[in-house]
Amino acid sequence: MTQSSRISELRRDDRQHKEGFVPNRISPRRRTALIGRHVILIGLALLFFFPVLLIVSTALKTAADVTVNPFGLFSSFSFENIVNAWIEGHFSEYLLNSFLIAAPSTLLVVILSTMAGFTFARLPFRGRSIAFYLVILGLLVPFFTYMIPLYFELRGIGLLDTLPGVILVLTSGGVSFGTFFMRAFFSELPIELEQAARLDGCSEWQIFIKVMLPLVRSGAGALAVFTFIQSWNNFLVPLLYLPGGSFRPLTMGLFQFMGGHSVEVGPLAAGTLITILPVLALFLVMQRQLTEGFTGAVKG
Amino acid sequence: MMRARTLSAVPTVTRRAQTRLGIALITPLMILVVGFFLVPLGNAVYYSFVDFDGVNPSPSFVGLDNYGRMFADPEVWHALRNNAIWIVVGTISPLVIGLCLALLLWKVNRAGIYYRMVFFFPYVLPSIAIAIVWSWIYDPISGWLNRALHAIGLGRLATGWLGDPRTALYAVLVTAIWAYTGFVLIILLSALRNVDTDLIDASRLDGVNAAQGLWYIILPQIMPVFLMVTTVTLVGGFSVFDIIFIMTRGGPNNTTNVIGTYAYGSAFQLSQISYGTTLALLITVLSVPVAVAINRLQRRLSLQGTGA
Repeated sequence: MTQSSRISELRRDDRQHKEGFVPNRISPRRRTALIGRHVILIGLALLFFFPVLLIVSTALKTAADVTVNPFGLFSSFSFENIVNAWIEGHFSEYLLNSFLIAAPSTLLVVILSTMAGFTFARLPFRGRSIAFYLVILGLLVPFFTYMIPLYFELRGIGLLDTLPGVILVLTSGGVSFGTFFMRAFFSELPIELEQAARLDGCSEWQIFIKVMLPLVRSGAGALAVFTFIQSWNNFLVPLLYLPGGSFRPLTMGLFQFMGGHSVEVGPLAAGTLITILPVLALFLVMQRQLTEGFTGAVKG
Repeated sequence: MMRARTLSAVPTVTRRAQTRLGIALITPLMILVVGFFLVPLGNAVYYSFVDFDGVNPSPSFVGLDNYGRMFADPEVWHALRNNAIWIVVGTISPLVIGLCLALLLWKVNRAGIYYRMVFFFPYVLPSIAIAIVWSWIYDPISGWLNRALHAIGLGRLATGWLGDPRTALYAVLVTAIWAYTGFVLIILLSALRNVDTDLIDASRLDGVNAAQGLWYIILPQIMPVFLMVTTVTLVGGFSVFDIIFIMTRGGPNNTTNVIGTYAYGSAFQLSQISYGTTLALLITVLSVPVAVAINRLQRRLSLQGTGA
């Protein structure tokens, strides 16, 4: 189907919606076009979703089936691989480590970004814009550029191969976007709000905590989900700064597993499923906040 | 204007209180930014002018030696070429596919949310999971790609996609495009939501066809957002690392090396810390001006009032 016919179709639909959805008023041609579009979309959606299905299917096979037919879709069913990965593959520990890394860094990013976002939006003072540009510079400079010196810095101050070290690195990597994001939310609030609060005798701190903060809750929520997923998925930071392997998160566990001498597809698939399940759950619950949040950030 | 007048009307007491609170609120953040971003960034520049091997605490000053070596290193040029391929193909494909999908989904009301979720989901997956599942798809023997090719009679095209020097880079690139397109789709869909549809309806009465409508009416309206996504994608293309490192480690025979994997290898596998850092600095030097230039363009377009 060509682009142009697609567009004209879109327009036809639009009119149809305006007239209200009355099935017997749709002409056969319109109906064919509508069905055609959904056929294309369903086909593409299946193609996009296929790799995810492959993970789930391979993880839930019997060990015997994995050796014979590793990637046949849903040809057998068992939790063998999951149990195997969970206990012998140490994925239960990796899961805990992932939480111990992602949760504190998310909390820190949200708190620091909210405080800074409020300051950069509503509290003018001399030198503020320089501070803002320094923070925002982090959005422009790739992590790559300073990751090697950061390794030696962490080694020097004794934070290499520790959870606090990784948490602080992830936090500092997240606050540039977070500050930028939260500032956009605070900027949109009407100035009359703070003026009224000030007349009522609120201190600047009370204005922040009692008046402004409750109004940016949705933004902070979106930032939290986004940051959590970023920290959970992060590969390079634990690869570089947790070389000892005693605090290995899921991503490192998988990487380690993948590079083993004989790669066992079954437990590897199960480990992958364990890694993506929390992301999937969070995604399903929060998908609106997540996609709207992205959109808000783009315009902000 | 209004804002400026209100600000100057704020009494000095309030101004002082605001300054105090502001400084208190950003101090923890600034400590973190200085300690974990600005200091290592400064050190990166320092490392590039000395010969640091990761052990010697007082490395000798070597001037521009690392830079000279970088420009004479054929592997740097090879890696840059791969970065260029990655940036061009990896920016154009998700934008084109994302735009087509967005136009397809634009007016889908009822099932739209489900489609959006399916297309967006790969973007939130960790790169390691993406790499694992796609290496199964590319598996030379039991992989789905070769099986599909055999099934449709194109069996002679089947190959070990990640092990074949001719296909490895593109195989990884396709994986990255799969993972990234959903992000572009979501952003463009939200931009399309703000497009003035009355204008399109009116233009249709004037005999404007669909392709013209896309080019002259829809695209100009979503251009600022389109450019923003382009910037993000381009800049990401310079510092690509995870997916290539996990899937091929730059191999086979360095054919998939990009500056990121080459810098990592030099610094942490060969202990040439200074050289690796210099290579990593190259990424910034290349990507920042591009980002700034596109950002300027975007701002100009927004100011013209064409933007969302």
